[in-house]
Amino acid sequence: MLRLDGITKRFGEVEVLKGVSFDVLGGEVHALLGENGAGKSTIMKIVSGYQPPSGGRILLDGEPVRFQGVADATRRGVRMLYQELALAPDLTVAENLYLGELGRWVDDQSVRSRAAKHFKSLGLDLNPDSVVRDLSVGSRQMVAIARALTGSPRFLVLDEPTAPLTALETDQLFGFVRRIRDSGVGIVYISHRLEEVFRIADTITVLRDGRHIATSPAQDTTPEQVVQWMVGRSVLVHSRVSAPAEEEAWRVKVRPAHAEAHDLSLRKGEVVGLLGIIGSGRTDFTRAMYGIKGSSDWSGKAVKSASAAARLGIGFVPEDRKTEGSALPRSIEENVVLSNLRGVSRAGLISARLERASAEYWVKALSVRPPDVTRAVELLSGGNQQKVVLARVLAASPRVLVLEEPTRGVDIGAREEIYDLIAGLAKKGLPIVISSGDILEVLSLANRVLIFSRGRIIKELVAPLDYEEVVAYVAGANVA
Amino acid sequence: MSLARTSRRPGRAGIARYGLWLALAVLCATVSLLSDRFLTIPNLLNVVRQAAVNAILAFGQTAVIITGGIDLSVGSVLAFVGVIAASIDHGGHPFVLVLIAALTVGAGLGALNGAFITYGGVAPFIVTLAALTIWRGATLVFTDGSPISGLSDAFRAVGNNDLFGLPASAWLMILVLVVTLVLLRRTGWGRGLYALGSSEDAARFAGLPVNRLKVTVYAFSGLTAAIAAIVLTSRLYSAQPTAGAGFELDAIAAVVVGGTSLSGGRGGAIGTLLGALIIAVLNNGMNLLDVNAFYQQIVKGGVILGALLLERVLSGRTR
Repeated sequence: MLRLDGITKRFGEVEVLKGVSFDVLGGEVHALLGENGAGKSTIMKIVSGYQPPSGGRILLDGEPVRFQGVADATRRGVRMLYQELALAPDLTVAENLYLGELGRWVDDQSVRSRAAKHFKSLGLDLNPDSVVRDLSVGSRQMVAIARALTGSPRFLVLDEPTAPLTALETDQLFGFVRRIRDSGVGIVYISHRLEEVFRIADTITVLRDGRHIATSPAQDTTPEQVVQWMVGRSVLVHSRVSAPAEEEAWRVKVRPAHAEAHDLSLRKGEVVGLLGIIGSGRTDFTRAMYGIKGSSDWSGKAVKSASAAARLGIGFVPEDRKTEGSALPRSIEENVVLSNLRGVSRAGLISARLERASAEYWVKALSVRPPDVTRAVELLSGGNQQKVVLARVLAASPRVLVLEEPTRGVDIGAREEIYDLIAGLAKKGLPIVISSGDILEVLSLANRVLIFSRGRIIKELVAPLDYEEVVAYVAGANVA
Repeated sequence: MSLARTSRRPGRAGIARYGLWLALAVLCATVSLLSDRFLTIPNLLNVVRQAAVNAILAFGQTAVIITGGIDLSVGSVLAFVGVIAASIDHGGHPFVLVLIAALTVGAGLGALNGAFITYGGVAPFIVTLAALTIWRGATLVFTDGSPISGLSDAFRAVGNNDLFGLPASAWLMILVLVVTLVLLRRTGWGRGLYALGSSEDAARFAGLPVNRLKVTVYAFSGLTAAIAAIVLTSRLYSAQPTAGAGFELDAIAAVVVGGTSLSGGRGGAIGTLLGALIIAVLNNGMNLLDVNAFYQQIVKGGVILGALLLERVLSGRTR
């Protein structure tokens, strides 16, 4: 038995785990559920030895243990499989399985036969000689799990293992997970998909705000009950954005390359929230709006590239601000004017004076700290980097905003400032689309939300929005 | 305090440039102590003349490297443009026509590199390496391996005559420097190059015409190769089919010694000018001191490595 006893974790001033206790038994699938920020990933990093706890104890069969890193936890039989699979794509399945031994003198034949034997014992139909690159995502997932099982762990943590899988692959994976469970391994299963959790889990534990809320046998509870545990109580979240004007600002036809097309009407000053778990298709949707990996049509104007979208006045904040949002080695002022170079130019040349004035205006308006416009963006904190991205987009006087994860990795103070900014822009009549994994964030800003699942919009809800209802849709509890 | 502060600025321009001026000054002082022929007007003009061709090539290379790319084809493009220009000149056409043709061919060959890189999705190193051998081969085919000599007076003036006490080639170098500086610092095109080198995705999401930037930056490098071709052909009084062989390496050396990062997004033309001058002074000094030509190469390589290490130490970027 793996017992967590009053585990706490603090990062500086912030306490992300406030005393979490639960038991994982051998031979059970134990689902761990909670909203973003509930503490799921932190607790699993502690269990797998990636981080030490600040307080509390981990007990393995009643013995207190203190893991000295991931390798130590693995040696004692606790193994975690991360969302991002770390398989070497150009090696064969067998080579991947025994990658840890490849530094030594390896007998090709024995690696192959051991892999074949291992697969047979797991009931997997995989060819040890296949190159990983040629396998489907589902098969790769199985190889990754099979590799984790080579050390005969007693406890295995799976983090969102079905996120990239199709329905059929999910079924196969579940069959595999059940076989592992029946062999006596205890499995901690992290997922955002309630419907799947109820298919695979024997026990369900819910965390909220770093606290342990409930642990229950899966058969004794319902999806509705679990959603209530996740959100606390049923609350109506009031948008801080007032009702939009009647007047339509844009009629948008969105045609993502890898997801379902959808038409969207945006009114003046309206904030539309897009919700859905990773892989639900909301990022495909926003990118297609901006002419990337898909195309769109804005009130009759075709957008097939990002530069066409920018010319039309679409302001876009991409989800990864470090690689997509800013030119990190360049200064704040260069970044701020980057989408509005014409606006700070005279006779075709950039005016240093206009550039400085524009940058200083936006740095002040968005309270970027430190307010030194010559500083390189890579030296700013996450929140201030995000403000610089917003400043760049706003400096181009956009006629509509599309924001992806506008506050991811942003500290709480800067987050409030960004919310106020968004509400202020909507009040001035700017239509805004916000795509985010943070449900409360979207509910506190949106007049209307679209909920995505498996590449399409499954539900549209209008403010006032009920938190519990929205979570249920996002987690898939309301879809049969 | 000022040290730590400046090094945190974008491009580390302050400290890097300061360090480069210092390196150039130390180098000049050393050479002048070792040889009294160094600090004479004719010798210094000679240094500038020698630096000019490399610097002109290196300014184009700077723009390319700022985008995170590389152009290995400049030496061969230089030779190809040289023989085209010389043969047009031979036909008795006005020099203006020779110039226009040379610049057009240079920019066109560069744009061709850019098109393969951008639309063919092939790495800049590979495309320009292929272009390096293709245009060298084309030059040899075109000339049948022999030089084209007997240039018009106007053509010969470019590389050899003086203007207001400076060689005409030095004035050309200054002209290309100023144009490059203005393009990089004061136009949307230049800002786009820096953004592209920082992150291609970021440039695209900012709405910049990424494909056009990539094609035109190689065209610009081809253009500077064409200007260098005119100067070199004029200085040699003939178009040599083997001219410019290995020049791409000197140009890249000038760029990186000048503080422009091979990973893109940082650097500039002033640094490249200093880099080209440092290399020219080094060559000149070793010649004055009668250093064996074989050893010269070793020393040059060592100095390039040393300059880069010094720059890293000064800007606090060593690991």
